[in-house]
Amino acid sequence: MERFDVVIIGSGAGGAPIAARLARAGHSVLVLEKGPLLRTQEEHPLGVSDFKRDELFATGAEKRLTLSGVANHFDSFYSSHVEPDLNDEPHIYEGADGLDRATIEGYTAQVVGGGTQLYGAVSLRFSELDLRLGSFNAGRSDIVGDPNGDVRREARDWPIDYATLEPYYCEAERLVGINGTRANQGKPFSADHYQTPYAPNPISAYVATGMDALGLPRYRTPLAVITEDHAPSGRIVPAAAEAAKTGYVNRYGDPLGLKSNTWVALLRPLSGMANFTLRANCVVTHLEMAGDRISKVVYRDVAGRPVEVAGGLVVVACSAIESVRLLLLSGERDPAFAARLNGNGLLGRHFLTHCFGGAEAIMPGRFDKSVSLDSDWATDACASEDFIRSQGLWAGGAIYNNTSDQALPISLARTHGSQDMDTIWQTFVDDTALTGDALNAFFDANFGTRLSVSFMANQVPLFDNRIELHPSIRDKWGRRVAYIRKTWHSHDVHLMNVFAEQCRRILAFGGDGGKGQFPVSEFGAIYMAANARARIANHILGGMRFGSDAADSVLDPNCRAWQFDNLYVTDGAFMPTSGGANPTLTIQANALRVADQLLARL
Amino acid sequence: MVPVLAVDNEYLFGLIGKFLAREDAGPRHDYGHLGADPRAGILEPWRFPWVDAVYDPDDAAQAYNAVTFVHAAADRQPGHAVQVAGSFADLHTPLPLLPLADTHYATLTLRIRKGEVHHYRLRIDGVWQVDPINPQRMMLDNGVEWSRFFTWGATRRLVLERWESRLLQRLCSHILPFHTADGETFFKRVHDAQGPANRAPHAYRLDESAGAVNFIDKLLAREEAHHLVDYQICLELIDGLLRQRNPVIEPWKLPREVFAELYREMATASVAGWNYGRYGNPRYFLQLLRRHTLTGVFSHPRYGGNAMTLGWKYLEERYRDASGATLFDWGRAIEAPLGRNSAYRG
Ligand SMILES: Cc1cc2nc3c(=O)[nH]c(=O)nc-3n(C[C@H](O)[C@H](O)[C@H](O)COP(=O)(O)OP(=O)(O)OC[C@H]3O[C@@H](n4cnc5c(N)ncnc54)[C@H](O)[C@@H]3O)c2cc1C
Repeated sequence: MERFDVVIIGSGAGGAPIAARLARAGHSVLVLEKGPLLRTQEEHPLGVSDFKRDELFATGAEKRLTLSGVANHFDSFYSSHVEPDLNDEPHIYEGADGLDRATIEGYTAQVVGGGTQLYGAVSLRFSELDLRLGSFNAGRSDIVGDPNGDVRREARDWPIDYATLEPYYCEAERLVGINGTRANQGKPFSADHYQTPYAPNPISAYVATGMDALGLPRYRTPLAVITEDHAPSGRIVPAAAEAAKTGYVNRYGDPLGLKSNTWVALLRPLSGMANFTLRANCVVTHLEMAGDRISKVVYRDVAGRPVEVAGGLVVVACSAIESVRLLLLSGERDPAFAARLNGNGLLGRHFLTHCFGGAEAIMPGRFDKSVSLDSDWATDACASEDFIRSQGLWAGGAIYNNTSDQALPISLARTHGSQDMDTIWQTFVDDTALTGDALNAFFDANFGTRLSVSFMANQVPLFDNRIELHPSIRDKWGRRVAYIRKTWHSHDVHLMNVFAEQCRRILAFGGDGGKGQFPVSEFGAIYMAANARARIANHILGGMRFGSDAADSVLDPNCRAWQFDNLYVTDGAFMPTSGGANPTLTIQANALRVADQLLARL
Repeated sequence: MVPVLAVDNEYLFGLIGKFLAREDAGPRHDYGHLGADPRAGILEPWRFPWVDAVYDPDDAAQAYNAVTFVHAAADRQPGHAVQVAGSFADLHTPLPLLPLADTHYATLTLRIRKGEVHHYRLRIDGVWQVDPINPQRMMLDNGVEWSRFFTWGATRRLVLERWESRLLQRLCSHILPFHTADGETFFKRVHDAQGPANRAPHAYRLDESAGAVNFIDKLLAREEAHHLVDYQICLELIDGLLRQRNPVIEPWKLPREVFAELYREMATASVAGWNYGRYGNPRYFLQLLRRHTLTGVFSHPRYGGNAMTLGWKYLEERYRDASGATLFDWGRAIEAPLGRNSAYRG
């Protein structure tokens, strides 16, 4: 059996930073990644990238669900070229009607780089307060929509504070390669590693006007896209002006490698090192233990053959749902493993995503939205303690505009009236009147005119929101699939209404030069969706929270499983609360922090 | 000699893992052949042989694709002898697929011109046969079944009959905006401005659906083969219906209003004279047709639609600011020669 100092499972935000740190320190590192290595055009043997500026890469042809025992049997679904297929490897969720359905929600991307290949690259920090919501809410009696005191009971402080994480935020921002501005952010910075952002898309001026009229301090949304040559990863920006601004951003991999995914930013620079091994197309099926150590990592190679390897340290970073599943499956094979890992019954519990939603309107004028990155302006105004208390909230969140959404013609049609992968195309397809003149009118009204403002805010952690193994449905390897069981708390609903209204106001004030009367017909939040229980917004968090009390958490403050000597989990699963911002930068910063802990013990 | 392209294992592994590697070979997938057909046990078997771009710095037209044939041994053991012969090369000189590392896969990547349709067979351990993975098959005149594939932008009709495609052209063009008054002027002007010499390598006839029919033909031949039957039945029903309503005019020559009325009826799922016994839901077909048509006309021309980028040009021209600058500058992001991005190669 091959042995490595460290075996890391998953090459995305939680895995890659650790691989980079430990390999550079000279340790032998193996990264096992389920998905393929898809490359930029410079590194590709055919001289072209595996990612393309092609709308059918983000959402492909129709497929039909053949799984039996689910309510959406025989429904259509569409996925990108790097998402797992629903018939081979579904996630199942329990709907409000008690029926099970297959969903693509809860997957990021199955490729070297994980979700960071497809992400919008919004790279916000969490606020100081996000990490101490337990103490902040203790003893409060002004929290709206919480008749049973769930919020006070379930809110947790992180076992580390912002000051501990802050240097790692700086380091992540430097290593990953991010453009943005620091002024007006509500979060303390000890160093500014941002590259200079490109000019915003002109349509975003409405958002700037709206935020200014409302007195919301704004900053350029930090985006993990390089705008200047990036020394830490050796990347060079091509001469073409603002080369990355194409509209093929969110849900598209970047053929030029300007988006700072963890492959181009962190792993590719290790390529020539003898002590670094990346095995793509290898799915880890389970872990085995001996005493208090993980003794074997078992995976299937590209040909489907089982292979065993050993790591002095084992880091699981499959993204939260799949990490929980991997450990549950390992426990299913060996009751002693289950008992050691899950003695307190918290494995898979307190699963989280974000409270999210926003507002959208047809703005005056028309703009070329295809010349854009994912977002231009953000504000932390709704993360302040004053705002939170004034609205009876338990926590805050971030607000930012989306620039690249619906920028391209097919995406305008297929996301007309639907925001998620489970319902994509549905509204357009049902709107059978859209032919000929009516289709022309649809494009006239919507193409280059729509602007949306979104929020990302903390979701209340609940014991009953959880990931289990589905009792009957299995993947193409014969392994039980993940079963998502969650709902929204009544306080989440209140919080989302408050935030959606803030987003609406930004557009209402932005659309008419600060008077606040501009009509904004669409605003709301995710709890309203028919498939609200499935929706995860690509932010897959919790399920193995870290903490300082072994009885109340799955991982210790260094993200080590309490009863194991060498098992660490560093994807989004470690979060006890979901933070008031998109999570990836925090996952990366925390992974760098854990890497320092690992270095100390190696 | 058709050139063999050198690719690395990492590239080949990436074509295989997600789609072919599995423990459970049962029928998990439905592309129109669920059940005992082994292709129902493969994810997206239509991707094989894999047709990819290949960059040639000396060829401004970028006229070639990289086509990778993949064989997966049924017994999951390495060591099988596999060869391919096809219309892209001399049929009498089979080319060997090489073992991929120590796996039971064998592959071969060839450089083949864009816009072409080819048939081929594999010789597996001495026995000539169709490709067990690729669902695309065709019967040659001598009654022998071959596997088939096509490269980017191919325009030869594959699965639709001639009359079907003519009727479909009318159906598509009345979904699209080109047949509005604005659209028609645009369409004629842009098309004429191309001049015969510049009308794309595989000259499109004046196609009022801007390539949507060709896109649909290719989609039904490959990714959405499971919907071919919807088209076959519904086109026949629509043809019959229109002939019944307008006995003296060929359906594809009928005026615009006839199609508008047909769509109105199909949208309510109550179409006078429709044979519900043969196809229960005309509304469903309209939905399918609209999704396909819109995708065809605005997707990358490599899929066979958006002929001469007419779909994109329509939006480019229609949406302009006060100074006349376009508000859909698609060419800025897209590779040459279609677009004008200097860094991105497609
Ligand atoms: C379209 C989209 C847009 C997004 N936009 C943003 C954004 O703007 N900002 C933001 O902060 N976040 C965004 N996200 C979310 C972001 O991608 C995730 O937060 C982040 O990638 C999570 O990191 P992770 O390490 O938990 O998982 P991932 O980065 O997904 O990495 C997990 C990896 O593990 C692999 N894996 C899974 N199971 C196994 C197994 N059994 N064996 C081997 N490997 C395995 C997976 O293939 C994957 O590569 C977006 C996501 C998507 C899909």
